[in-house]
Amino acid sequence: MKDFHGIIFAYHASPELRELVSVRTAASLPFCGRYRLIDFALSSMMNAGLRDVGVIMQRDYQSLLDHIGSGKAWDMSRKEGGLRILPPFGLPELHTGNYSGTMEALNAVGEYIRDIPQKHVILLLGNLCANIDLTKAKLQHLRSGAPITAICADHTPDGLHHRYVVGEDGFVKTVLFDRVGDGEGLPSLEGYIIDKDLLLSLMDRCKALNLYRFHKDGISMYLNEGGKMGVFVHEGYASVIRTVNAYYQANRDMLCSAKRSQLFPADRPVRTKNHEGVSTYYGAHAVSRRSLVADNCIIEGEIENCIVFSGVRIGKGAKVKDSILMRRCVVGDNCELSHVISDKACTYSAGTVLTGNERLPIVVPKGSTV
Amino acid sequence: MKKNCIAMLLAGGQGSRLYALTQNVAKPSVPFGGKYRIIDFPLSNCANSGIDTVGVLTQYRPLQLNSYIGSGQPWDLDVADGGVYILPPYQSAGEKGSWFSGTANAIYQNMAFIENYDPENVLILSGDHIYKMDYADMLREHLEHDAACTISVLQVSMEEATRFGIMNVGEDGFICEFEEKPKQPKSDLASMGIYIFNWKKLREYLIADENDPNSSKDFGKNIIPNMLNAGEKLWPYRFDGYWRDVGTITSLWDANMDMLSTTLINLYDPTWPISSRSPICPPHFTGENAQIIHSIVTEGCEIDGTVENSVLSSAVKVGTGANIIYSVLMPGAVVEDGATVEYAIVGENTVVHKNAHVGAPPDGTDAWGVATCGPNIEIREGAQVPAGAMIYTSEEV
Repeated sequence: MKDFHGIIFAYHASPELRELVSVRTAASLPFCGRYRLIDFALSSMMNAGLRDVGVIMQRDYQSLLDHIGSGKAWDMSRKEGGLRILPPFGLPELHTGNYSGTMEALNAVGEYIRDIPQKHVILLLGNLCANIDLTKAKLQHLRSGAPITAICADHTPDGLHHRYVVGEDGFVKTVLFDRVGDGEGLPSLEGYIIDKDLLLSLMDRCKALNLYRFHKDGISMYLNEGGKMGVFVHEGYASVIRTVNAYYQANRDMLCSAKRSQLFPADRPVRTKNHEGVSTYYGAHAVSRRSLVADNCIIEGEIENCIVFSGVRIGKGAKVKDSILMRRCVVGDNCELSHVISDKACTYSAGTVLTGNERLPIVVPKGSTV
Repeated sequence: MKKNCIAMLLAGGQGSRLYALTQNVAKPSVPFGGKYRIIDFPLSNCANSGIDTVGVLTQYRPLQLNSYIGSGQPWDLDVADGGVYILPPYQSAGEKGSWFSGTANAIYQNMAFIENYDPENVLILSGDHIYKMDYADMLREHLEHDAACTISVLQVSMEEATRFGIMNVGEDGFICEFEEKPKQPKSDLASMGIYIFNWKKLREYLIADENDPNSSKDFGKNIIPNMLNAGEKLWPYRFDGYWRDVGTITSLWDANMDMLSTTLINLYDPTWPISSRSPICPPHFTGENAQIIHSIVTEGCEIDGTVENSVLSSAVKVGTGANIIYSVLMPGAVVEDGATVEYAIVGENTVVHKNAHVGAPPDGTDAWGVATCGPNIEIREGAQVPAGAMIYTSEEV
């Protein structure tokens, strides 16, 4: 299906992600032992046959560039089209702040969007942790006859979100902004399938009126004028990662087999950049319970309820519980860590004790020595 | 484009002594050591040694090898001038096509490939050895001694020497005699089957050997002795690292067990990576009842049983209460709840159903051996597979 173009928003770095986004954007947060969050948007698009995808970035994108490279891992390194990195190029010269909203981000790369050869565009968040069956969503969008389809979740996520109230005809009646918890309507995953012409007209109108928000400006304007919007309900795991707690929780959710198989179904594999690897070695006194462990690790101590990335070393007698250890962390002998999110390449000297708690995990910044 | 040295890898025939494991694949594509297939070792050694052109000669079940090697990208061998090529036997105009009749004949039939690169030297490799070697260092010695051929040799014990091709070295340090499996070895330097030839010389000898109707067209049996007889300079390159031939079930199992020790061969060394083409699976998951001791485990595995002294390749499933002891589980193998696999090799995607028992610990008798289940078969619930068994099909048990 060559009629669909993908756009991924990878510029978000919400302050609630604290130290985790001091060196990267939310889309390039390491996740579940070997992935980056953007792998889910890219793989969802890849599995639905999309090959032309633009990734909107703004700043701190070096880690993301490293990760996605030419797009080869997702078959998006093509002779024509393929993966395109989109830093801002259409903004007034002195613009130095963050994008104030998604409409502004889209207008900053407006020329690219105008040149999209396909008729339909799929918009996804780079920090959305969900494996969406876009093949099904595309079909539903084409059949509904509406020029825009909102991708919604089948369960209410934690934190603020927008909800769409759907009428008996299956089309959206109203949108409810900034809700928390269950309520009327379906929670939005802020992903859309939209006809390119409609997207452009909303972008142009918002630009002319100096409006920059996608939902509160663009979508409201469209719905208020009686525009038709369909809804596609994504069945299965979904979480939008905007806070440290959401990040911590989503990783820990993957220790549950049922949730893991929803995010990693056999028929829609999640691709990522491949690292060189050796299998993980467990020593004579190692213990590993309810944990996910990537390749290249050497584990001599105990881990429980942990997510362990590639290249981690866990020393003898060390006990690590309820923690996330990113690539190349070294935990010395007899350390005790619990509820710790350890960014890449942190070193814990022998005997270190660090204890966070469920609601307030300790975030140890990249490259720290403790 | 002219190259200083290119490699020709003899991926060979069936590897018949691996029986069930090579029913459908050539020996070099047999999985090894968790992440790898055997051919990853010579290919990675080539890439790490700066050799970017490799011809892989094969005439047995090339499908899997072909798709595994692909563009050579995992080994960084996807280069513009050179790269990795699978070279099967082929027909030429006016001739009947013919199979490779020996290792030397395989190279002879692919002279056109070699001449494309007009190399000074050709490195001949075998596809069934596990080792890390810097071929650039071997090439340096080869050039320093202005040798027609340099043969990589390994010091073995005098008892073992009777099983190898043995190089006897003269006072000048060059090889003066070659004996295949001598009863009374005069030296302990065993040939590792790795050669660097001066291409012009090798070309002469290949053509001469091809015209000799009595030749078995083999490097060890014909080319090397012919060169020695003609007084060519043959230099022994002494290698003292880890090297194993994995041509038999026992040696394949042994070498897999060696991977559990980083002192024998360090695969975690970032300066000499052994690369592989691996499927992208989520990290492995260890469940509530998992107990993993002195073992290696690969991505995609789901483990809820006991694993001791074993090698688990990608996407292996070990059910609750299952026991894996001193065993090698190849990619996608499944051992269901309550089953036991000990001293065994289980092939790709084979399922050992509930409460089945494969293999047994050594009992000191000569009859004992490693139990082997071929790929894609099912060992039915409660079945017993004795030590040393070789299972080809689901119907056998």
